[in-house]
Amino acid sequence: MSAEVEAKKTGSFWKLSLDTWAVLLAFLLALLVRVGVFKHIPW
Amino acid sequence: MADVVTVPQVRPVQPALRFLRVIPGVLLLAAVGYAGKLLEQNVGAYAKAHHWTFPNIEYVLWAIVLGLVISNTVGVPEIFRTGVATYEFWLKAGIVLLGARFLLGDILKLGGVSLVLVAIEIVGSLAFMTFLGRLFKLKPKLTTLLAVGSAVCGVSAIIATKGAIEADDEDSSFSIAAILALGALALFTFPVIGHFLHLSDRAYGLWAGLGVDNTAEATAAGALYSDAAGKLAVLVKSTRNAMIGFVVLGYAIYWAGKGQAQAVGNKAAFLWQKFPKFVLGFLVISVLATYHFFNKDQVGALANLSRWAFLLTFAGVGLRTNFSEMRKQGLRPFLVGAIGEVVIAGFTLALVYGAGKIFGW
Repeated sequence: MSAEVEAKKTGSFWKLSLDTWAVLLAFLLALLVRVGVFKHIPW
Repeated sequence: MADVVTVPQVRPVQPALRFLRVIPGVLLLAAVGYAGKLLEQNVGAYAKAHHWTFPNIEYVLWAIVLGLVISNTVGVPEIFRTGVATYEFWLKAGIVLLGARFLLGDILKLGGVSLVLVAIEIVGSLAFMTFLGRLFKLKPKLTTLLAVGSAVCGVSAIIATKGAIEADDEDSSFSIAAILALGALALFTFPVIGHFLHLSDRAYGLWAGLGVDNTAEATAAGALYSDAAGKLAVLVKSTRNAMIGFVVLGYAIYWAGKGQAQAVGNKAAFLWQKFPKFVLGFLVISVLATYHFFNKDQVGALANLSRWAFLLTFAGVGLRTNFSEMRKQGLRPFLVGAIGEVVIAGFTLALVYGAGKIFGW
């Protein structure tokens, strides 16, 4: 039962909206640029 | 019994499988988008080297046209479809990152002006589309979906409203097809009209943000004109998107009052659920950039990341547009949408001219 509850929790985490995932990805990229992991992004 | 049904739906392996399923389509988006970028760089240079007169075609248009050609000739194979559908995800991530190129002061100044124009546009468009729907004797909920799609933010608004007013699947697919077809037309007509009228980047960006329905098409229509117009179109379109919750809430209450939809319980929670979170993300990145959390090189890197995300979006706009699928949806909703869009385009252009006179642009 506890495994099920755990799985449900995992499920609800993955069910964040598309918007929220896009924002999280953008924040992560911004953080990586800020700390210097990505120094230069070519275009 | 219920346990037996629910357990398979929450297997933790599902997200990983879902992730793997998007990879082929995302690679296709990247390939089509990058091909568009290469064509922009090489076709112009080749034409110049051979003394040909050839217009400078931006990567935005190449990526969309390549996508359109694939979608409407060989079609997009099933294996790529899940990944191609992520183009809106890249659009939203790109808009959040674009926040680095806006100082908070600019947003407040431009956002204030655009908020007033957006409010006028939404009220005018909703009223006109409702009138048209009644004139053409469309089903009332179909009229609501077309009105919301034209007035606020295209497909996302239609999907959000469909759930809130309990509209039929058929009505929503009619509305989505009409809005997508008209968005594809706007993509090519807005820049031509803008150049014909010699609109400034500011005037055109405002117009594209106010007049083009879907966020992806509004972003592309702005970028096709100029970089500055593209930036402004995204800002204005995001302001329109931010209004979605209020409009959907209004319609949900209206249809619940008629006993044809469920009553809305917690209105604040409803508004938060419908609010586009990427608008908040955009503001957060803009505040960070304004207070020098990022240095100049880092702002440049974020702007380029945003361009790469938009590149995938533009490829997706072309790849998901299939004209024969749209033709199957019937003529009447398309006709109502088309008349509405032409009037709304004229109305928003007049708004932009009026704002230009008042603010001396």
